[in-house]
Parts: sequence; C-alpha cells; structure tokens
Amino acid sequence: MTDALVLLIVLPIVAAILPVFLGILSDRAGWYVALAMSLAHLGLSTVVANAVVTSGRLSYAVGGFQPPFGIELVADGISAPLLVLISLSTLGVVVYARRAGPHSNAFYSELALLTAGISGVVATADVFNLYVFLEITGLATYALVASGRSPRAAVASLKYLFVGTIGASLYLLGTGYLYIATGTLNMASLSEALAGVGYTPAVLTGFGLMATGLLVKVAVFPLHTWQPGAYAESPDTVSAYISALVSTAAAYGLFRVTYTVFTRDFLETVPIAADAFVLLGSVSIVAGSVLAVMQSDLKRMLAYSSVSQFGLVVTAIGIGNETALIGAVVHLIGHAVMKGGLFLALGVFAASVGARTMDEFKGLAAREPVTSAAFAVLAFSMVGIPPAIGFIGKWNIVVGAVEAGSWSVALVVVVSTLLTLAYFGRVIERMYFTHPDEADVADASVSADGGQPASDVSLGMRTVVVVAAVTAVLLGIAGSDLISIIQPALEVYFV
Amino acid sequence: MSSLDFSPRAYVESTIIMTTVRVVSPFVFTFGLFVMFHGAESAGGGFQGGAIVASSIIMLAFAFGIEPTREWLDDDFVRVVIGGGASTFALIGLGALAFGGPFLNYSAYGISHGVKYGIELVELGIGAIVAGVIVSLFMNLAAGFSDEETDGDEA
Repeated sequence: MTDALVLLIVLPIVAAILPVFLGILSDRAGWYVALAMSLAHLGLSTVVANAVVTSGRLSYAVGGFQPPFGIELVADGISAPLLVLISLSTLGVVVYARRAGPHSNAFYSELALLTAGISGVVATADVFNLYVFLEITGLATYALVASGRSPRAAVASLKYLFVGTIGASLYLLGTGYLYIATGTLNMASLSEALAGVGYTPAVLTGFGLMATGLLVKVAVFPLHTWQPGAYAESPDTVSAYISALVSTAAAYGLFRVTYTVFTRDFLETVPIAADAFVLLGSVSIVAGSVLAVMQSDLKRMLAYSSVSQFGLVVTAIGIGNETALIGAVVHLIGHAVMKGGLFLALGVFAASVGARTMDEFKGLAAREPVTSAAFAVLAFSMVGIPPAIGFIGKWNIVVGAVEAGSWSVALVVVVSTLLTLAYFGRVIERMYFTHPDEADVADASVSADGGQPASDVSLGMRTVVVVAAVTAVLLGIAGSDLISIIQPALEVYFV
Repeated sequence: MSSLDFSPRAYVESTIIMTTVRVVSPFVFTFGLFVMFHGAESAGGGFQGGAIVASSIIMLAFAFGIEPTREWLDDDFVRVVIGGGASTFALIGLGALAFGGPFLNYSAYGISHGVKYGIELVELGIGAIVAGVIVSLFMNLAAGFSDEETDGDEA
C-alpha cells in the first residue's frame, strides 16, 4: 500500500482547506479537523513505517511519471521514523491545543499546512520538490509565529520571514546550479550524474548555496538569529511544534542533500565541506550553550539550547562515519521529543502558575509536581543521562567522532553536555531546592488568577507533557531497535 | 466631507478611469482564464492566470472604490473560491487513486485527452487560489489596521 506515502502529504493539505469552509459554520471546527487529520496521519505513517521495516525502501512516482523525470517520494529507514515522529508530535500538539489554544480556525489550517510541508520535506526525493516543501514549511511557520498576540511576535515573524526567505532562496539558487550542471533534479539520478560531471566550480557553488540555505533553516550559530525570537514569542503550542519539527526537517534535508545527492565521495574529495560542517557545528554547540546559560526567560533558554543541539547534528553530518550519522538521526528524533515536551511543559507552568522566567521557577515543584517531574526527566534526557534517548544520540556522535580521530570534536561534545547540565541544572535547582519568596507566590497566583482566567490547565495538557517524558525514556531503552531500523538505510552510503 | 477628515479613503470618482476599467476589465479577466487554460501545453498556468484575474478585480476596486467592491465580493465568497480551488486540485489527485492509479495520475481516469483536461482543471484550481489570495490580501491591506491589534497584551 504505497499510496500511504503520498497521502501523508495530501491529507494535511486537505485538512488545511477544510477549516476554511467549516469556519463559515462553526468557530471550533478547526480543532476536530486537526484531530482527525493527526489520527489519520498517524495511521498512514504507521503503515509506511511498517512497510519499510518489513520490505525495505519504498518509492512512489507521483502521477505515474517515472523518476528521474517525475517527482519521486521515498520512505526508508531514516525517513520512516521521522514520519511517525511528525504524526505523533502533531497529535500531541493538537491534543494540547484543545485547552491551551490558539483556538481560531486559521491556526489549525496553518498547523495542517505545516504538517504537510514537513511531511513533504521528509518524504521527497527530488531537490526542487524539497525547496517547495521547505517554502510551505517556512510560510506556515511565519504565519504561526505571528499568531502570538504580542507585537513582538509580529516582529519575530517578520525577522524569520526575511532570514528564512533568504535561506530558501540560497537553496533554490544552488538547485539551479546543479540543474544546469547535470540536467536532473531527482536525488538518486543527481548523485549518478554528479559523479560523471565531476566536482566543477558550478557543482561546488551549488553545494555551498544549498548547504548554506539549509543551515539558515536549521539555525546553526551565526545563522540562528531568527530562531530565539520565533521560538520565544510565539504561543506555547506553536513553540513546541516548530521547535520539535521545523529545524528537524531542515537538518534532515541537509543530511539528504549531503549524503544522497553529493555522497561521501564528495566529502572525501572536497574535505573543506566536511570541515566546514564540523567547525560550524562545534561553534554552534558551544555558542548555543553559552547563550542558553545567559538567558533568564525560559523559552529563550530552550531556543538557544536548540541552536546547540542542532550544532551537534551538523557536526555529526560533517564527521560522516556511520556511527556519527546514526547518532545524528537518533538525536534528531530525540531532540524533537524532548524539546517539544519541554516547551509544552513551560506552557503548563505559564498557564497554571504564571511562571515564565528563571526567578518565577523557585519552588515550582511543590506547586506543579507532575509536570515538574516530567520537565526534569526531559531536561536530564537532553543533558544525555542514560537510559533516555538524549544519551543514545550524543553517545553515538561522540563515538563516531572518536572513530574518525577527531578528538577535539569529542571534547566539544562532552563540554557541551556539561554546559547543557549547567543551564538545565540551574532551572531544576530552582524548581526543587529553592524556597519561593512569599511575595513571589502571592504575585504569581494573583497574575495567574487575574491575568489569564481562561487558560487554566487541562488534564490533556499535563498528559501530553508526561507522555513526552515517558517517550523520551522508552525511546532510549528501545534505542537499539531504533538504530536497527535506521542502520540499513545508512549502510547504502557506506558501500 | 470635512476637509479635516484625513481618513485613508480619499476616493474621487473619475469618469475616464471608470469608463476605461469598465471596458478593459472583462478582457483582462478573460485573458487571465486564457492563460490558465494554456498551462497544459504552452507557456501559461494557474499562477500567472490567477494573478491576471486578480488584477482585473483590483482594477475594479481602484475605479469604483474599495468599499463598494468589498460589498459586491464578500469575504465568504473569496474564501469559497480559495477553498474550492484547492479542493479541485486535491480531488483530481485523489480521484486518480480511486481509479486505481497513483496520485495525480490523469490517465487513470480513462477519458480521451484525460491528461490535458486534468492539467487544465488543476491549473484552474491553482488560478482560483492565486486570484482569491491576491484579492483577499489586497482587501485586507486596504482595510488598514485597527488600533486594538497594535495594543497587544503584556506577556
């Protein structure tokens, strides 16, 4: 049943249209559409993942036009887990949004469109098609960020719009160079054609432009400027969703372009490309962590933490041996679960006790025990403490770095773990071991009661956070199973 | 109207513009459709055609005033045009699945020249989306911004 692969993209697009019609009838129709969409999406991605696990790589020619001329969709051991991840994140966020909002039909249209874009980025096997889906992802994200009520959300969205458009344009320009050099856009046939053309200046330019464009979307350190604002100013539901999936999709795109299109031969022939990834990634790891330690607003802290974690993934792409790449893919999945869960937990704290900054977190564990525990589990998982998923990803990347002989990179990763511990430790210490000032408690409860009366916390919201924490641990325990799904798809690049 | 009233609608009727637009806009609209239908076999397509169709409506708004145009072409109608265009595309794609072909496989329908008609319908759908979105963007911008949106609540 390979049709499931294309339906993963078509279904959310249809779900994005429905609220436009149903909005004429009811203001709350969007949520039900989104819930139905995410359940169906989960069903479809499970079918795809099941097919991949049992019979290997799955390919689909859209419209019956055979590749390399038609658009090809592909699911393999790397994209299938990501597709399931997309479904689960969407489901979690939709359940969470029932109480937390935003409630408008437009929000659910945008959310569905974003799901379509991200699913497309992950499923496509065509470099131009990848651009189209990156743009869909981007446009939906700009709109979602702007759905925050404050003027700062509008500014953050505009900034993201400018920077993101430049990134996507660079990618498109690079695609143009490759098309001129080879005459094809299909990833598989591009890699064959590139081997024939050789690494001419046009091809090198193409790679540089595509990689830079994608790195902007991933938000690696010097190119990250859009990201903290976009994560911090949007509504909590949106922060969680985009932090879990948007940069993840771009990082996946970077991985595909580097390994499926340009292959390892390219990285060996042009070592500067791999070195640039490692250097940028390492700088991003350290800079992101340091900036995260300096933040007092929790959402901004988590945003800079993402800069650091994606630095780790980009470094692994640069190291380029099998172990490191397994680590990269596992960390992509793990980071999405952990960061999405952490943002949702912050949303719960903000709605129930009005805590948003570091000082307001004092003694929070006593007032929000369950969510605090989930937050702590997710934070320790992000630090990389076994058996949670964060450990498996980081461990494989470190081992990969050591295998490749890059001791300096291994050192950076270990240092980054300590820095991650520093910024999460600070929060957890305040939550569990600091007594709140009496005045703070009074203030917080007043603002929680008076400031936002409608947005109290539902059982569903807490459940989603707890499920994210449990998933992070279970994924870690089932880490070897996950790796056994990913590995066959990676071995293709190492023959 | 007092001269102190500096509302953005300083609209003055002009016989020349109104007459010209009345004559030209049906042709522009038709040309937009022509470009859309050409998407299947030559230069053209939904994006360009949709932009031309939208421009004919924006021209009307310039000539006859934005508020009258908004009353004539209400939001729900534009919304249905956008949704209808997207639904056309999706339904044609999904219909191919129902006939046993892959998604968007026009020949699965088994109609003679099915591929051509299929692409033309899809282009019309895209044209409807593009025209609808451009018109609604124009109308939204023309409506200006109310103060309540710029206030914002302190987080």
